[in-house]
Amino acid sequence: MFKNYLITAYKVYTRRKLFTAINLACITLTLMVLLVVTALLQNAFYPTGVEGRSDRFLQVTTLVAESEGGNSVRTGPLGYKLIDQYLRPMKSVQLVAAISSPRTVSVYQDDRVSELMLRRADAAYWQILDFKVLEGSVPSAEDVAQGRFVAVLNASTAARLYPGASALGQQLNAGGQTFKVIGVVEDTLQLNSYSDIWVPVTTDPSSEYRNQMFGDFFALLLADSPAQLPLIQAEVAEVARNLQFDDPRQWNLALMWADSKLDFFARGLFRTERQADSGAGLLLAIIAALMILFMLLPALNLVNLNSGRILERSSEIGVRKAFGASSRTLVIQFVIENVLLCLFGGLLGLIAAIAALNWLEHSGLIPYLKVDINLAVFGCGLAITLFFGLLSGVIPAWKMSRLHPVQALKGAA
Amino acid sequence: MIRLENISKTYRTDKVETLALKDINLHVNKGEFLSIMGPSGCGKSTLLNLIGLLDQPGAGTISVDGAAVKSYRDKDVAQLRNQTFGFIFQSFHLINDLQVIDNVELPLLYRSLPARERKQRAREALERVGLGARMEHYPNQLSGGQQQRVAIARAIVGRPQVLLADEPTGNLDSQMGGEVMDLLLRLNQEGTTVVMVTHDEREAKRGSHIVRVFDGQLVS
Repeated sequence: MFKNYLITAYKVYTRRKLFTAINLACITLTLMVLLVVTALLQNAFYPTGVEGRSDRFLQVTTLVAESEGGNSVRTGPLGYKLIDQYLRPMKSVQLVAAISSPRTVSVYQDDRVSELMLRRADAAYWQILDFKVLEGSVPSAEDVAQGRFVAVLNASTAARLYPGASALGQQLNAGGQTFKVIGVVEDTLQLNSYSDIWVPVTTDPSSEYRNQMFGDFFALLLADSPAQLPLIQAEVAEVARNLQFDDPRQWNLALMWADSKLDFFARGLFRTERQADSGAGLLLAIIAALMILFMLLPALNLVNLNSGRILERSSEIGVRKAFGASSRTLVIQFVIENVLLCLFGGLLGLIAAIAALNWLEHSGLIPYLKVDINLAVFGCGLAITLFFGLLSGVIPAWKMSRLHPVQALKGAA
Repeated sequence: MIRLENISKTYRTDKVETLALKDINLHVNKGEFLSIMGPSGCGKSTLLNLIGLLDQPGAGTISVDGAAVKSYRDKDVAQLRNQTFGFIFQSFHLINDLQVIDNVELPLLYRSLPARERKQRAREALERVGLGARMEHYPNQLSGGQQQRVAIARAIVGRPQVLLADEPTGNLDSQMGGEVMDLLLRLNQEGTTVVMVTHDEREAKRGSHIVRVFDGQLVS
């Protein structure tokens, strides 16, 4: 009987090529977009790659200072002094790193000027993040302490600046300073690790950064375990409450939060710098709602198309019922047909998503992008598609079960 | 074999109520060839559908082999149809997506039979109707007469006790119609009960018994 169902399904799908193409496109595109989006979201938020320990670290990126009475408010990145004097001594953290935001610098090389991104980082930064070192090494604690002019490049930058030669030991003129390249790391596109060049924080042209509460830095706070993160968050809030500005008459209230990566994006999106709740829950709810909505529309279309397809086969249904098919048997037949189509569409969706991500990685549209398909998401997406495939077979077949064969034969459906 | 007692059937729409059959009492004997005649729209196809349990009467009782059909539950009537009846329709109602042999095999799919036996019986049925060489054709590759013979093979493959034919020659020319009638008579002579709807007097007379329907009632 199963073979008969398979033959019928194959014939129906090849006979109605447009219907099959629309149905497959529907399933394939939906799953492809879902997989690509989740792969990008996973790259951004999930502990993976260089930031594989992001389930153990938090970042403090913004300080809000308010004058008495709230007449004056300043919001901005942290100064090095704040990180060094207030965050490093925290009891709940294992490691604290100070790192600047990536800034564009001009790099002079063989009569060429390149605009590249440069970060200044302390030694702890290299311990918290898991850079894959391709050549040489990353700056040691001593390099940072001594203010040595050493630099690390990512693989693409090394290849661009020193084509055909090893970057190690080369002189690099960046932003008017000369560094010696001591290491090359794999390209990465993640919140805390994205850059072309990294140099020690102590090579800053001015030592003034050491005395600033506001500056160009953010802090990475590594915990012993993910369970410790709430303690860190509480301690950071406590540190903010006790923060002493150089001129307490100017600023007498400080706010800062230790955020996960999701919190960081939510805070930026919802402008929640002044409250502990970043709005990450709302952000997740919005993402989930958008995904459900995105899946629901093609799913309803699938139900509608399949219903129409089954109902227009009422003569066949009438014949099958006349010769002894029960409604249950017919439901099984149509469900098998729909499940086969969904599985095929799902497979195409997976292939299309892999191809799309491969293209994204190699097109340079998003530099340094390196993402993998999340097979769990593929499984969920396929399960949802199958659910609607089942639903779209069961509904019309159930409708048919209420008809007498003679009505089905007459095409009353 | 099949007994209809006080059968009535009314079709209802939102605005109109049409009495299709009224107080029908009919007994189909085992082994007979019963022809149902009457003008178009008189209710003869409705009567045939009720006999074959393809439709449910509004009132009255239908008995098959002495047992009244009490429940029209989907599963129960599906089994009765599969075991007792074979249907032949005026417009054949073959499934064009399936090969001839798969069409003929269809009633056996709803029985617990191994695939090899199903195929064997489908082959035998097709050979009986003279289409042994057309098994792997598709219905739309056959003539009308051949398609109706496939439909007959499908109707007899399950070895039903009763063949129900609704104007089986209605869509065929006289020669093909004659061949189909010969086939039905031969099956009847071999012991199968045949109930046929027709408005062709000559065909009706080839059966053993004629009933006439007029305005939803049996007339003598």
